[in-house]
Amino acid sequence: MGAWGFVALAYGIVWCAIVIYLVALKRRYRNAEAALNRLSSTEAAQDDVEK
Amino acid sequence: MSPAAPLKKRKGIHGTIALIAVAFGLYWGLVVAPPDAYQGDVQRIMYLHLPSILTAYLSYFLVFVGSGMYLWKREKRDDLLAHSAAELGVLFTALTIIEGSIWGRPTWGVWWTWDARLTLTAILLLIYVGYLMLRSLIEDETRAAAAAAVLGIIGFLDIPLIHMSVYWWRTLHQPPSILRPDKMPWENVHPSMLTALTISFVGFLLLYFYLLALRYRVGEMREEIKTRRLERGV
Repeated sequence: MGAWGFVALAYGIVWCAIVIYLVALKRRYRNAEAALNRLSSTEAAQDDVEK
Repeated sequence: MSPAAPLKKRKGIHGTIALIAVAFGLYWGLVVAPPDAYQGDVQRIMYLHLPSILTAYLSYFLVFVGSGMYLWKREKRDDLLAHSAAELGVLFTALTIIEGSIWGRPTWGVWWTWDARLTLTAILLLIYVGYLMLRSLIEDETRAAAAAAVLGIIGFLDIPLIHMSVYWWRTLHQPPSILRPDKMPWENVHPSMLTALTISFVGFLLLYFYLLALRYRVGEMREEIKTRRLERGV
């Protein structure tokens, strides 16, 4: 493998790993946000019943 | 507009600036900067390698501060900062080792060698992988946070060892080429190379703080869910 092959390998692995982590983190963020919204709806419904 | 909208907008702007800085760093490092006189084009891996390890060090410094503050004040937000920073520290340390290995093959002729600096960096990675595992192994969250905080502080002590290893032992890894006590950075490298390194580092920093803010918010939301469920008995 030539010099540019090693450079491409390093840059490719690093940016792929960062993008994969970012996508996974965004998914975790959306899941937590959805769970929080569901909980808020449940709490609101419970409050209505109690009233 | 919901209350979270300005926060989301700020995150969007931060993310876009980080992306521009990273793209600019890539352009400067791969196109503008000249090849190294001895190493040739392989040296361009350094525009990733150095920012990666400095970002990892910053991350472990935040683990150290967050852990210390947690042990002192027992505030959940400090533990959350330490936990978020540790996860990112592991990512950037692993990337540093991979980049170093790819650079080492054409430069040293080996993918890996048990050199003091390399070994201590691998130990650093293992310590913080252990930190993350410890958190998931102990069921009691308060105990897990305290035990992890102790490990987070002890682990940080490895960083001065990594830095000094090239002076204390005979290593294959070269001593610092830019931040040297005898010369200013611009006297050691071509200005274009220094610019590439600086832009790349700024890009990594912006990206790092974007990821850290996102990871911290995930942890914060999870905590809120747990607390509210406990309060309601759900």
